[in-house]
Amino acid sequence: MTELKIAYSPLNDAALILVAEALGFYDSEGLNVTLIREANWSNIRDKLAYGMIDAAHILAPMPFAAALGLGPSMGRIIAPMALGANGNSVLVSAKLKARLEDGGKLDTSLLGSARLLAREVERRRKEGLGRLVFAVPFTWSPHHFVLRHWVASAGLDPERQIQWIVVPPSRMADMVKDGVIDGFCSGSPWPQAAQLNGHGEILFSDPDYWTLKPEKVLGVRAAWAEANPEATIALTRALLRAGQWASTPAHREDLIRILARTASVNAPWKAIELALDGSGLTFDPQTATFPWISHAKWFMGQMVRWGMLSPDHDFDQLARHVYRPDLWREAAAPLGLDCPLADEKTEGGQPAGWEIPAKPHNILMPANQLFDGGVFRCA
Amino acid sequence: MAKTVNVLIIDPDEARAEQVAEGVRADNGDQETVIRQERHFELRMLRDFDPDMVIIACESPDRDMLEALQVANEQVPRPVVMFVDRSDDNATAKALEAGVAGYIVDGFNPKRISSILTVAAQRFAVTQGLRKDLDKAKADLAARKTIDRAKGVLMASRNLSEDDAYKALRKHAMDTGRPIQAVAADILAVSDLLKPGDSQ
Repeated sequence: MTELKIAYSPLNDAALILVAEALGFYDSEGLNVTLIREANWSNIRDKLAYGMIDAAHILAPMPFAAALGLGPSMGRIIAPMALGANGNSVLVSAKLKARLEDGGKLDTSLLGSARLLAREVERRRKEGLGRLVFAVPFTWSPHHFVLRHWVASAGLDPERQIQWIVVPPSRMADMVKDGVIDGFCSGSPWPQAAQLNGHGEILFSDPDYWTLKPEKVLGVRAAWAEANPEATIALTRALLRAGQWASTPAHREDLIRILARTASVNAPWKAIELALDGSGLTFDPQTATFPWISHAKWFMGQMVRWGMLSPDHDFDQLARHVYRPDLWREAAAPLGLDCPLADEKTEGGQPAGWEIPAKPHNILMPANQLFDGGVFRCA
Repeated sequence: MAKTVNVLIIDPDEARAEQVAEGVRADNGDQETVIRQERHFELRMLRDFDPDMVIIACESPDRDMLEALQVANEQVPRPVVMFVDRSDDNATAKALEAGVAGYIVDGFNPKRISSILTVAAQRFAVTQGLRKDLDKAKADLAARKTIDRAKGVLMASRNLSEDDAYKALRKHAMDTGRPIQAVAADILAVSDLLKPGDSQ
């Protein structure tokens, strides 16, 4: 048995890490795993950097930000798989929501709500009111990029016209209630729990922004992976098996039960259920766990777009150092999963199901479409 | 007179924060140290208190808020950056292991940082030890209560003295090779079923 320590944040998208423990997949892959629940992302980054943990549930942009010198070091990290796709939602205060209605009707398209947001920003400016305040859980997070992209789609300058604040998801609902923030983007089940408690309303969720949006990955200390190459594959396989189990509809109740346990996400059953239904969270190992190099580059592209990073870096090389599709294939092939032939794909521009070349069989992918019709090409 | 050193301690566990405060105070160098303890971090604390150093429990989710200030420093009058003095990796690692992290304002005396962080880590480690002892004491107390109540049941139902009731419990525990607390719990479970008035 190989011993290892895995850290996670209490969110629904830590599911694969929790399911693999609950169903004994680590054991059967020869791994003796200790799970550690962490209250913030900074702890996880530091514990990876100092070798206090070996692997963790991390926000996909974290290892790139750290490697590019944004914030403290994380040490060398590899990501052999994604931990699913989607799962975040954007919630706004009742007050802001009322302002995003046109003739009593909420425009549910992101382009529509962004246009109304721009109108509200203009109204506040004219009336000498302060900027709207939006909260995200971490600076280098998909949440931050999604909100900025949405805001910018109506011609607003997210840097100048919106005030951004980092707040832990556990405090976001109270801050909306107290009027400190006007909205937030967070992983599930926090927005659902907030809405159930009457603290604002969900405006949109990940799939409305991008039908199959990358989110969390399995981050493994590169030094540990190099010393334990077989265990790294075994770990990836245990989590892919957890994905097969978790994406089976018949296991839904058991999945909620695992997530609802105090040791897991400690949220009300109803909120978890709403989140699984509404946030587009998917754990399908075949279509939502491959570590696409194009995802890695998209995240780094966002950092450049929002002025966090200069474009003078070898993004291709860094993407391939961190994201490891080769390890995914090695772990997935024996499970009967089809392995994509390419490491990257064009992101967006696929409004309906489509096929990608893979072996032994091509993969039928769900739609891959961004709200503004944007297409991200790697070449 | 030298400027005072302001240390902000963020810890949801107030008793532990008190321990850290006491340690930092005792570690006081030639500068006066002013300490403020809070359960949660709020941005306004930076303006109101103007800390030179922030000590935060790793179990506080607010750590990410503090972390972000090094990026979005437009909201704060002074940059608060993470303690990343690699020459003293050991202090940082030990603190992290004990469950505490430190943030400082640029230019704060590195020796003092390391010293404060070390004190905080020691206090955290001690509190962790005390917590374990407390948990054990609580478990022991719960066990004694169960045994006392089971003794009471035996005394009432079999008309035994307290001493004899305890001996009966102990004998049964030894005969069956089970902890006396487990035997006591069984007796309580059964006695609930035998309560008068519950029978049909």
